[in-house]
Amino acid sequence: MTILATKGLSRRFPRVTALDRLTVAVGPGVTGLVGANGAGKSTLIKILLGLLEPSEGTAQVLGMDVTAQGAEIRRVVGYMPEHDCLPPDLSATEFTVHLARMSGLPRTAARERAADVLRHVGLYEERYRAMGGYSTGMKQRVKLAQALVHDPKLVFLDEPTNGLDPQGRDEMLALIRRIGTEFGISVLVTSHLLGELERICDHVIVIDGGTLLRSSAISEFTQSTQTVTVEVEEGRDALAARLAERGETVTAAGRTLLVEVRAPQTYDTLRDAVCDLDLCLIRMEQGRQRIEDVFKEPADV
Amino acid sequence: MSDPSPATPSPGAPAGVIHDIGYRHYDGPRTGRGPAAAALAVHTLRGVFGLGRPARAKIIPFLLAGVMMLPAVVSIAAMAAIQQRATGYTEYAVIMQAVLAIFLAAQAPYTVAPDLRFRVLPLYLSRPVTLRDYVGAKLAAMTVAMLLLQAVPLTTLFIGELVVDMPGPPRTAEYLASMAGAVGNAVLLACIGVAVASFTPRRGLGVAAVISLYLLASGVSGVVAATMEATNHYDAAAWAWLINPFFLVDAAVQVGIFGAEPSGPGAYPTGIGVPAAITIMLGLIALSVTALVIRYRKAASR
Repeated sequence: MTILATKGLSRRFPRVTALDRLTVAVGPGVTGLVGANGAGKSTLIKILLGLLEPSEGTAQVLGMDVTAQGAEIRRVVGYMPEHDCLPPDLSATEFTVHLARMSGLPRTAARERAADVLRHVGLYEERYRAMGGYSTGMKQRVKLAQALVHDPKLVFLDEPTNGLDPQGRDEMLALIRRIGTEFGISVLVTSHLLGELERICDHVIVIDGGTLLRSSAISEFTQSTQTVTVEVEEGRDALAARLAERGETVTAAGRTLLVEVRAPQTYDTLRDAVCDLDLCLIRMEQGRQRIEDVFKEPADV
Repeated sequence: MSDPSPATPSPGAPAGVIHDIGYRHYDGPRTGRGPAAAALAVHTLRGVFGLGRPARAKIIPFLLAGVMMLPAVVSIAAMAAIQQRATGYTEYAVIMQAVLAIFLAAQAPYTVAPDLRFRVLPLYLSRPVTLRDYVGAKLAAMTVAMLLLQAVPLTTLFIGELVVDMPGPPRTAEYLASMAGAVGNAVLLACIGVAVASFTPRRGLGVAAVISLYLLASGVSGVVAATMEATNHYDAAAWAWLINPFFLVDAAVQVGIFGAEPSGPGAYPTGIGVPAAITIMLGLIALSVTALVIRYRKAASR
């Protein structure tokens, strides 16, 4: 089953080509859409919502054509924009109820759904206060709530972790994961950090300059390049030598070492080596794969 | 069932427990575009009068609506006490034009500016509501608000006249002409006001723009007409009055269609004047709506 599919989709603006013959298919679950700024992510979402006409090619969302059935699509999808979109003098409740009604929910159902959804995104007593005084994290939650309030089958989340601190980012990512699994709503989430999508997505699409760079299940990404970054106070070279001795692939990068993870035993080897050499371990971090890494790889999938 | 029944709590259990029932899907009715647009119009209309907004947002609209009632109240009192009519029906809007203009200037920007300024528009457009529904709902809300502002005092005055039972037949024809004039005023003013206000996302700027436009129109109309009369160009003076939107509607609807007495300070153009006034009025409405649609097409593509 495909949730959305594009075929030779292009969109040209007078001066730039935002999308260039993009062909992708997305199944249910959480799908990440990764690309640098200006890669065409937001343009793609606008086309999928039926708000922007494609220059050529076709796109389907939940089996409906975006140019012919835009209105029907917008009934069953939710959209969380990247930019601020909250009037400061309204409370989160009033705002969410109003937008639920705009999605075609009757008054009482709109109230119930708004209360439910605001609770699910983690807004409690503060939802009765004017949104002007909200923190960025709370604002992002309201933006997410309005996208979910009419119980869509699919939501487009444009940069939901933008501007959040590390803890807020983790909470938002966990929430997105819950939407995709527990709530049973398919998610298309954009980001420019592949690392954070890695944790929550089933499938990742990488686009650059409006063309498809790569589209594959998350397991394929993580299997190919799992590294662990190790930083020790002194004796970096000794550690590298010891690890190489034990058959690990090690590369030095500045003050740190990048160790390739072949199997879970790599972590044990690493721990033992640090202990044996009696080194001061500063940090050990799971390698965050970034878009740049994907650029280096051949886009063979 | 092996589940412990929540109906018989053990004595030590807390009285109120919030159960996390998880995410619930919605499978109730979903209305289409029409009811959603109607809900938007009602929401906006309430907002224009400050309902559902903080107390300070209610002050100006209710103050102005109260001022609009004054001539009606005074006139009813005069009819009851000394059997004299203080205010006529068709002249009501013309006399109170400054109040109507201030209300328009103060409230028209509220209908459109916040959605542009805080970029709420994409949230509407990602729903079944279309751009045309949105613009239509906003215009409808402002039109109804302007109509209420005139129709309530006019109707109060008419009921007052019937209750007081003035000598002679009730002036039903005049009342109906004034209600038609009120509709004309409401549509024209709402369209112009919302269109002008939509060009700036800042509410204060919108207020200033609408009120300056009214002052400009009424000022130019008065000065040109006076100059023309001074130089004995009475025909030209009659046309000059039509620059003021309130006189334009008076000339087109109340005088032109219903044959009421002109309420302006001078005569209106006769003969071709009536169809011309009606055409100008409809032309201004069409121009404002077109400007609004173009403005929102541009705003939506951002």
